Amino acid sequence: MKLPRKKLTASVPSFAMGDIAFLLLIFFVILARAQDDSHLQWQPAKLKDVKMQASPLASVTIDTALKTYLDGKEIDPSELAAGLSAILGDTPAGERNVFLKVHREAKASDFEPVISAISEAGGDLIHILEPDKETPIR
Amino acid sequence: MKLKRGTMLVDPPACASSDIAFTLIIFFLVCAAVQPETGMSQLLPKTEEKADKREQSQNIEVSITPTGIVLNGNPLQLIEFSQRIADALKAKTREADRIVVVKSAPETPYPIWIEVSQAIDQAGGIITLELESEKTINVR
Repeated sequence: MKLPRKKLTASVPSFAMGDIAFLLLIFFVILARAQDDSHLQWQPAKLKDVKMQASPLASVTIDTALKTYLDGKEIDPSELAAGLSAILGDTPAGERNVFLKVHREAKASDFEPVISAISEAGGDLIHILEPDKETPIR
Repeated sequence: MKLKRGTMLVDPPACASSDIAFTLIIFFLVCAAVQPETGMSQLLPKTEEKADKREQSQNIEVSITPTGIVLNGNPLQLIEFSQRIADALKAKTREADRIVVVKSAPETPYPIWIEVSQAIDQAGGIITLELESEKTINVR
């Protein structure tokens, strides 16, 4: 006589789906945050006649401590050109947007080497600035 | 005799709390996402070593210091500078003549530098930065 084998079912409880989705979301949010520069502290300079800007391929920031960051990671200005070249690759001119976020208290000795590095990498420099409230954003 | 009214407890079902948290996260993510950024663009040709100093000396020279701006040896304030640079560049038609050599003192604050840069740009000048390390950058 053949005895029927009992079937074992291993299913994920459906009421845990929300928790799984929640944890996955947290994971992806943390992953995304690690690549951006939103954690950096800096205050933009104000300027009249600023325009909305297209999304960049890379972002260079000089923060309140006057340290230089490439896409949220600290970098020495002497290594910036090489780092940017690697990111920009063979992207055609006009699409090689590099955001430059300079803290308003930075001096020429801090930001000119950075501009030089962006120039050396062939980036399309975009200074990120705060619009002066007197003038509308175009 | 006073009758006691039974208290009605309406608790949200505990199994839905994770769904509520998930929805809240989505809401805050959407609120925080993609703030449009404003700024001023400058096209930078690749950095070049200074080749011919004689040719550059014929171009308009602007020196920026923390206290003021010097245009071809004349100290000016920003409002005056905008007008003077526009007048100086008005007559120049060749691109090579429209190059403006900008030298900044190391202590020059960024807000002053960017305002001068915008004034030159709006006047139709081609900004060339002269750095201490003898590198020149053309900014357009």
